[in-house]
Amino acid sequence: MSATDELARAPIAELRDIGKTYGTAQNPLPVLTGVDLDISAGEYLAIVGPSGSGKSTLLNILGCLDVPSRGSYRIEGDDVARLDDVRLSRVRNTRIGFVFQSFHLVSHLTVLENVELPMFYAHRPRAERRRRCHELLERVGLSARLAHLPAELSGGERQRAAIARALANDPALILADEPTGNLDTATSGEIMRMFGELHAAGATLVVITHDPGIAAQAPRRVSMRDGRIESDSGRPAGAA
Amino acid sequence: MSFVLELIREALRNLRRHTLRSFLTALGIIFGVASVLSMISTGEGARRAIMSQIQQLGIRNIILNARKPPDEGKAQTSGTSFRLTYGLTFHDRDQIAETLPMIVEVLPVHDLDQWIWFGSRRIEAKVRGVTPDYFEHLHLEPWLGRTLTSHDDAERARVCVVRNQLLRQARYAGDPLKLDLKIGTQFFRVVGVLPDAEFQSPNRLALGIDERALEVYVPYETVIDRFGLQTTVRRAGSRESSEVELHQIVCVVDTEEHVLPAARGVQAILERFHEKRDYEITVPLELLESRRKTQRVFDIVLPIVAGVSLLVGGIGILNIMLASITERTREIGIRRALGATGMDITWQFLVETVTLSGIGGLLGVALGVLGVHVLRAFTQWDAVVTPGAIALSFGVSCLTGIVFGLYPARQAAAMEPIRALRHE
Repeated sequence: MSATDELARAPIAELRDIGKTYGTAQNPLPVLTGVDLDISAGEYLAIVGPSGSGKSTLLNILGCLDVPSRGSYRIEGDDVARLDDVRLSRVRNTRIGFVFQSFHLVSHLTVLENVELPMFYAHRPRAERRRRCHELLERVGLSARLAHLPAELSGGERQRAAIARALANDPALILADEPTGNLDTATSGEIMRMFGELHAAGATLVVITHDPGIAAQAPRRVSMRDGRIESDSGRPAGAA
Repeated sequence: MSFVLELIREALRNLRRHTLRSFLTALGIIFGVASVLSMISTGEGARRAIMSQIQQLGIRNIILNARKPPDEGKAQTSGTSFRLTYGLTFHDRDQIAETLPMIVEVLPVHDLDQWIWFGSRRIEAKVRGVTPDYFEHLHLEPWLGRTLTSHDDAERARVCVVRNQLLRQARYAGDPLKLDLKIGTQFFRVVGVLPDAEFQSPNRLALGIDERALEVYVPYETVIDRFGLQTTVRRAGSRESSEVELHQIVCVVDTEEHVLPAARGVQAILERFHEKRDYEITVPLELLESRRKTQRVFDIVLPIVAGVSLLVGGIGILNIMLASITERTREIGIRRALGATGMDITWQFLVETVTLSGIGGLLGVALGVLGVHVLRAFTQWDAVVTPGAIALSFGVSCLTGIVFGLYPARQAAAMEPIRALRHE
């Protein structure tokens, strides 16, 4: 228990006054208007809120897929604003694992090759990559589906493949954007159980959802509205 | 390195996913490379043939040929009997030998206007009385037996050296060195056989050296002594009699640099002693130079033609790659999300384009080689496919891939990850 406390104190992501505005200068469209958020190692966090509340944009910023218009974001102490394309790509590659609502598997690559991709971009040797792929797919129960194309899998299987891919490089932060949005209830439960297991194993997870039942499974819930954090169950206001 | 290999493997798989599309895209490159290769090959073949013929004439030689002056030819029709004196003289030979020190040897040639008989079969050939050195300086190597010697000259021997073609024309199947040919009224024993003239291309005619293919060589002194200088030709209804001292003089110059000055010297001497232009001067080196100039024109035109055809192929590739990148935007977004850098994406698409154009290049080379073989089978052209030409055309096809693949690849890399990912 003390080890978990130790981990909990080390911040993985620190967001300070993050703002994001889309649109043109004449017609600005603010999506995030000042978000402060800290995520510590080993936390399991659900972000809830109606559509248009900015939760996806927040997740993309957390994942270094998008850059904030203002404010600062530090991931494991590194200021994202000061990283160039190569370093940002490297952050996405080694520190972040994505799970998307529509799975985002490369359709012409097999399950094995999809899981291999992050390790390919990390320039890990082929034999090691293969070994790790087998290990990961075993873990998500897809050992029998290695050579299948995504189109040949069920939705749940695709999402499990995507989870295996997200875990490939042992990321510090796993980000899931509506991971159960395209799945039926039974499969959703299966996926959420998997997240629960990951959390139990010490992974840091951020899950976006608009399903209160899903959100309830996360120890910490952050609720968003109109580009701001409305409430944060895990951290009383001002505790940063 | 293994990174690039994996990209190539991946590219091959991607190209296989749309086999027909990839093939059609590469078609421009295939035809471009094939035409470039066959053009280089025919050009190279023609060049080699000409070079070899010119070199056979001897790069250090100046060849003077007697020529019947055209206006004298007409005068001959007025009478039934007319003696015509023209051509090169012994005096020319002596003058050249004495005045021009850079000319180390002057070889006289006297032709015999006599018919050659093998049994009752007449053979069309030119009989040339030549000195022993003639063979060496005109690069005539016997394939069988020997060439003429000074001993033959001294003996006024009735021996001759023939071309292989002559044996075929005579339909003689026995030992060539036991063959006796009747030249005029006298029998000559064959002592040597020269190989067939090497090149059978139309260029031979262009150079005016085709007749050398069927020449019979006999000792110079034998001709002068046994047949004299005067020749009489009977043609339908008239007799034409002519006297030519020398039909050909071959001047051998000491070094290649002296050939052109020596040729000017020879021309000056001939102009001084000949009233009419009853001679012509052939300088193989000059021919070589002028051929090189012609070649240079070819060297300019070829890259332009090649460039245009590959430009067309390249634009085809550019077009398809741009379309392909739009089509694969989401894949690019996924790869970016998983940690691919802009450079990784650039490499991926560049390797794919170069793989496509490289395969097109290989197919083009195959088509070009095939085309050259077909060309050679159905025409008389000496097209030669050199490894250099293959390497060049293949290299150019890959270069086309790089040039036209770079822009789409950069476009792909420049996409914002999040936009690419959300692309529908």
